[in-house]
Amino acid sequence: MVREMLTGNASAAWGARLADVDYVPSFPITPQTEIIENISSWIRDREMNAKFVTMDSEHSMITAAGTAAATGARVFTATSSQGLLYGMEMLYTISGWRVPLVLVNVARAISSPITLEPDHNDILAARDSGWIQIHVENCQEALDAVLMGYKISEDERVFLPVIVNLDGFYLSFTREPVEIPDQKDVKKFLPPFNRENGYFRASKPVSRGAALLGGTGYSFFKYQMHLSACNAISVYKGVAKEFKAIFGREYDTVERYEMDDAEYVIVMSNSFATKGKAAVHIMREKGHKVGLLKLRLIRPFPADDIINELLNRKGVAIIDQNIAPGSGGILYNEVCGCLYHSKERPNILLSVIGGLGGKDISQAEFEHIIDTIKKYHNKKKVPIKPILLFTEEDMKVTNNIIDIAGI
Amino acid sequence: MIRVRFHGRGGQGIKTASRILGTAAFLEGYYVQDAPLYGAERRGAPITAFDRISKEPVLERGIITNPDIIAIGDETLLNDAAANVFQGIRKGGIFFVNTHYEASHILERYCLPECKVIVHDVTDITINTVGKASVSATLAACICRITGTAGKEALINAIKKELKSIELKDETIDKNIEAAILCYDKMSEVPIETYRFNPVSGPKIIAVKHYLPPKGVAVIYAKGNTKKRKTGNWRLFKPCINYERCVRCGICFVSCPDGCISLDTDNYPVIEYANCKGCLICYEECSAKAIETKREVRTW
Repeated sequence: MVREMLTGNASAAWGARLADVDYVPSFPITPQTEIIENISSWIRDREMNAKFVTMDSEHSMITAAGTAAATGARVFTATSSQGLLYGMEMLYTISGWRVPLVLVNVARAISSPITLEPDHNDILAARDSGWIQIHVENCQEALDAVLMGYKISEDERVFLPVIVNLDGFYLSFTREPVEIPDQKDVKKFLPPFNRENGYFRASKPVSRGAALLGGTGYSFFKYQMHLSACNAISVYKGVAKEFKAIFGREYDTVERYEMDDAEYVIVMSNSFATKGKAAVHIMREKGHKVGLLKLRLIRPFPADDIINELLNRKGVAIIDQNIAPGSGGILYNEVCGCLYHSKERPNILLSVIGGLGGKDISQAEFEHIIDTIKKYHNKKKVPIKPILLFTEEDMKVTNNIIDIAGI
Repeated sequence: MIRVRFHGRGGQGIKTASRILGTAAFLEGYYVQDAPLYGAERRGAPITAFDRISKEPVLERGIITNPDIIAIGDETLLNDAAANVFQGIRKGGIFFVNTHYEASHILERYCLPECKVIVHDVTDITINTVGKASVSATLAACICRITGTAGKEALINAIKKELKSIELKDETIDKNIEAAILCYDKMSEVPIETYRFNPVSGPKIIAVKHYLPPKGVAVIYAKGNTKKRKTGNWRLFKPCINYERCVRCGICFVSCPDGCISLDTDNYPVIEYANCKGCLICYEECSAKAIETKREVRTW
């Protein structure tokens, strides 16, 4: 084991290298490109033994990834933002093939207006595609999630592809100290993929993605995908336990920060959770009983764990770093949905939208969220519309943008 | 936690400077985070890079708007408002500039608050020792010393590691180390008052109203894409209309990709030179040969 300063991109690439992948179809896109650059230079230098192919688009890339996985190869690929959307058709197709592989998405907000910094409208657009989704907060988690991803994906009870999501810029280009595990420990955790069931063999063809008309068979197999995705919760927990036993780091489906006696809870995901933890820490110093629940496994949605953590709290704010125009925050709706039948659910579930296009969330904004929950605490009517984290100063900046655009 | 923000230009070694500082502090056992920020990746464009160095785990991310140290790799950026090098400068903070000027000159010329201005001609030392003006190792050495985050051994190991990773030759790396040590020895450690969050200055959250188009839609109407930048100074050749030959066909008017040609009340074309980039499409397209080109000496 060595400790090195690594970017989120390099960490994800190390995950693929340690997983001893066989095949890496690739296509560049900012802010992901450094991942495939790392891998291609390792293959050039014979530090990694895999086939690296540059494709003509993300659509072809994801197709190649799925087909290679269908031959029993261990496959890694990566993309970002517009690239994920361009390959979207194949995300659904491949999950229906029931082939295991890991794709890293480096989150970047979606055009238009076009930008480079992260929010989660790209990755959450893929939330219903049948892929397992693990969202990470730091560079270490990026490496570890890729390793865990293979183990979950290749488990027969799941057999669905996995996306690991890491934030562009905030992780992709940011270096942090990262533990690179020893190859022999990784081998113990993640043995070579056992290619027994239904893989292509010479003179033994199989057909995946067959036509099924009339709806009956279609319903059955789609529901099988749902059940397999649901299995991924217990499989994830088992894999996390094994991971902890070998590497010492613990990754549950959700992460609890200062939750034991928290009256007010902020729910959020990904790299901005670090900012949230810092804010909670400062609010705790001031005597506020605030905690943070970080969502790590987004698909399948770990409803039971979320319910357990949020029951009997006075108020909860869900920060969505995404926006569904005409609806609001995507995760807010999911969290509300799983709490409905619990009598001890929190009085207040506040929907907050922040960090769009990588916009910072300041300490003052986190404190504003908690103040707002408290304001509604004893009132019957709580707004279900989302609050956008946007300040007077932000409006000045925007007015300047509008002015120089000549409107 | 110490927060360092570097400013420089693409190709100057600013990202690598932040990485050398980061690695040196990491080797000394600190928790570290470093990251560069650049838009279009080209030589000469302003670039920023950040380091957070702490004895505790770092619970911050992204750009640093409240630096304890601002390190300027290229003094010409001090005059570039868009580079925003003074953002978050504060009383007691450290402002390091790579320049041949005296600190007092910088302090007065830019009306800085009571911060500690430290100057050193890093470029000069680098050119004399290495033969090139890439200040990655030398600038990092200055900041290592000023912050006291890394000793010479960690600094040298960090320079080796980072310069090797960008595939420099051993000989060049050795010269960089030599230059860096010269800089390191010239500097001395300065006590740093680190930034603490001040709740009083918190911004006010507002409810964003709905705006009908065009205000509520991200569309640019200004010629040259912004009212503030006049693209006329990109011109090498200036198209000039000879109105005696013009047949008012309007071809130039519809061909101009920047909308810099309008029609007057008699339907004669008029060129707006403030934004005309001199692409000369109008000159190429004019069938009456009524547009001439003149070499632009100075736009304004």
